[in-house]
Amino acid sequence: MTRSIRMILPVAAVLAIGLWLLDARQMLPMADWPAWPFDAQAMSLEQILMAFGMMPRGTIALLAGALLGLSGAILQVVLRNPVADPTTLGISAGAQLTLVMATILAPGLLDHGRWPIAMIGAASAAGLVLAIGAARAFAPVTMVIAGMLVGMTASAVATAITLAQGEYLLSLVIWNGGSLVQQDWSGVRTLALVLIAGGIAAAMLARPLRVLSLGVEGAAGLGLNVALIRLLAVGVAVVLAAAVSAELGLIAFIGLAAPALARSMGARNLYHVLALSPVIGALLLSICDSLVMAIAGQGGEMFPTGALTGLIGGPLLLWLLPRLRGSTPPGTEKGDGTARRRDRAAPLLIGLVALLIAMAVVMVWIGRVPGGWAVLDWASFQAFLPMRLPRLIAAAAAGAALALAGAILQRLTANPLASPEVLGVSGGASLGYAAVIYLVAMPTAAALTMGTMAGGAVALALIGMFVSQRDMPPERVLLAGIAVSALAAAVLSAIMAVGDARAWAVLSWLSGSSSVVTMMGALGLAMVAGLLWIAALAARRWLDILPLGYGVAGGLGLPLRRARMLLILLAGMATGAATVLVGPLSFVGLMAPHVARRLGLARPADHVTGSALIGACLMLAADFGARMAGFPYELPLGLFASLIGAPWLIWLMMRSQK
Amino acid sequence: MTTPLFDIRNLSVDVPGRRLLQDLTLQLPAGKSIALIGHNGSGKSTLLKTLARQILPSHGTVTFEGRALPDWNARDYARRLAFLPQTTPPAEGMTVRELIALGRYPWHGALGRFGPRDHDAVDRAMVECALEPFRDRMVDTLSGGERQRAWLAMMVAQQAGTLLLDEPISALDIAHQVEVLSLVQRMCHEQGRSAITVLHEVNMSARFCDHIVAIKGGKIAMQGTPADLMQPQVLQDIYGLPMQVLTRPDGSPVAIPA
Repeated sequence: MTRSIRMILPVAAVLAIGLWLLDARQMLPMADWPAWPFDAQAMSLEQILMAFGMMPRGTIALLAGALLGLSGAILQVVLRNPVADPTTLGISAGAQLTLVMATILAPGLLDHGRWPIAMIGAASAAGLVLAIGAARAFAPVTMVIAGMLVGMTASAVATAITLAQGEYLLSLVIWNGGSLVQQDWSGVRTLALVLIAGGIAAAMLARPLRVLSLGVEGAAGLGLNVALIRLLAVGVAVVLAAAVSAELGLIAFIGLAAPALARSMGARNLYHVLALSPVIGALLLSICDSLVMAIAGQGGEMFPTGALTGLIGGPLLLWLLPRLRGSTPPGTEKGDGTARRRDRAAPLLIGLVALLIAMAVVMVWIGRVPGGWAVLDWASFQAFLPMRLPRLIAAAAAGAALALAGAILQRLTANPLASPEVLGVSGGASLGYAAVIYLVAMPTAAALTMGTMAGGAVALALIGMFVSQRDMPPERVLLAGIAVSALAAAVLSAIMAVGDARAWAVLSWLSGSSSVVTMMGALGLAMVAGLLWIAALAARRWLDILPLGYGVAGGLGLPLRRARMLLILLAGMATGAATVLVGPLSFVGLMAPHVARRLGLARPADHVTGSALIGACLMLAADFGARMAGFPYELPLGLFASLIGAPWLIWLMMRSQK
Repeated sequence: MTTPLFDIRNLSVDVPGRRLLQDLTLQLPAGKSIALIGHNGSGKSTLLKTLARQILPSHGTVTFEGRALPDWNARDYARRLAFLPQTTPPAEGMTVRELIALGRYPWHGALGRFGPRDHDAVDRAMVECALEPFRDRMVDTLSGGERQRAWLAMMVAQQAGTLLLDEPISALDIAHQVEVLSLVQRMCHEQGRSAITVLHEVNMSARFCDHIVAIKGGKIAMQGTPADLMQPQVLQDIYGLPMQVLTRPDGSPVAIPA
């Protein structure tokens, strides 16, 4: 233990207790506080609120913070990854998804408590992320990107279900934000038991974990059953995080912050990190919650504390990035082994163009009518064309733009998991959209578009600032994007939790729709996509050399900083333009470049062109599906695309590589 | 005396908390195959990366062919000097010929035409490194030695007068080590190039290089010919280990730990 810990911890403890007392005394003067044991019959209303609201809330903040801190510490130790935590690994989002699903589809399951349901979701998400990580030597950045993708998918599905069920489920959204409001002491009891069990388990695992910190080969050489210890440790961490999810919802980043703070205060030793993280996590969440109560006052019960922790988490992640050591071992980020390669790409590309046109024609021509399918006759074709054409053009252009952004990012970072979703541009764009909705009384479509673009641009500028730092490996840029996304998500969930019709507008935009596109807008988007394609072709030699790493690229005289800046700008603009239409999540930007590569398009110009065409086809198919699957209702486009994309993507990432 | 290839004055390189190179002053001659040797962590790779402009010096100046490093434009520098990092990436989805053609980037840039001179340079690089049988093979299907030759050919196609190689043989078996180093040696002696190679192996350095620079703890421990290096006392200074120098039947020295 260092001196700074001995200094800071008591101060933080005093601060946490003081803040809570301040809030509590505003509610009820201390003299009137009810005495133990609590007897609701003999109490005034204020006293009941104090005994069964305020007091358990203060306690549960400490408990949940401790649980999350311990969970994050265990994950960081076992994965040797300083940015691992239940949020970045998608565990919390997985728990959230199963809870939302159970609430809507089978409320009866929740009779036995929210616990088992949350556990299933958390464990599946963790299993998925670990399986992806295992194929890639648990490289820290890959793990986080995979975790964020799994998390984003889970959230997207949860949003889809919420949207499908109408407004009364908005309370679910509030719960998603992680509110600490309590009505009795049952939550406290549960979490206290979990914390005791988790503490014992962590103590028992401490020594094997310390051996594991030598690395897999070293630990195995010392006779440690690496797989078993990993499984046990991750299992404990998942249980701890799922318990918090079940009781309180999504409270982001405490698990990230607590071990990081413990280390920055000088806890070098693994035992110290494991012991201190719960304490720091408890104090952190307690202070956050008291602040929320102090700022929001009595009416602030709707403001979820989880949103505030998310606000802290984004900047924290940015701050941690330069300290992230142990980057990806070379070669482990290779996507899917040696894909075959086509020497003459032109026939395939022409075929793709033909496919795109054929799809467009077919999709104008056929459609569902009440009671079946119909092929339009010539007269109705002419009547339908002006209605269907803009959205077809817009969907294809958005798909192409996203695919271009994905191809550029994957080549720039030499990481097959790079995609526009993790660049943070979408998150910024969502914030811009939400800001216009909330700040302008009657926003026009143009104002919304402008707001979206501006939000994306700000996020892009943030990333750009990061990129312009020398020696910042491109994978860190992805993490910076994730941090921006997390920040955006936190703000969004906070404003949605205020809960009114405007929140609904944001929520439905988040899932993406092409139904309101005008011909002008569609043509504009198509032009943007076309210009981006030309720009990407012009940069094809950079895109050829950059995957070989900075050493080679620098040795060949490539202007590294300028190339990185320009390419990120290009990808960001493509993402921003497409986000206006399809919302922030679609996975087309991730899928299309992979499909193109698997079809044998290896040279950068072919790869970029093929990705754009495939992206356009994918988005057209998604648009068609979104219109037809729920006929006569229309499903959100971005959501439909990600529902198609996510399983394929997960399969791709889980394939063991040769 | 002619202008030295590199003129290094008072060079220091720092990373947070540690000084990797300390106040180095050194001149490297042109037209020779130069070996940078030293124990692990001595700073030899750092020096090479500084010369390749991959690392910025904290103090001091480095002059290449009479011009200070920061005054060189990136592509002009790459036309005069080629650098091969220690670990070469897998070059997924690229044929040998395409990899070699990347060496022409400093000449045609991002948008310039890949003209007859570029084709010619690529063809000659392939001949020089005996890679014609592999021209359409995928780089990631080659053996270690062949792949290293392909990367060397990329540097040859760059038509730079100076080659910087960071441990080019560390992952190769002994036959391929000899093959790659003799190729580098031939490039220097027959084509008038200069090469600076970071090497681990003392005997390989002495056999294939004309000039040796030994680094120890971020400082120059010794500079001279292979004959100057192959002295028990000198070797002990560099590696901190008693060494014995034997003489082979043909008169060339071999060093082994005593």
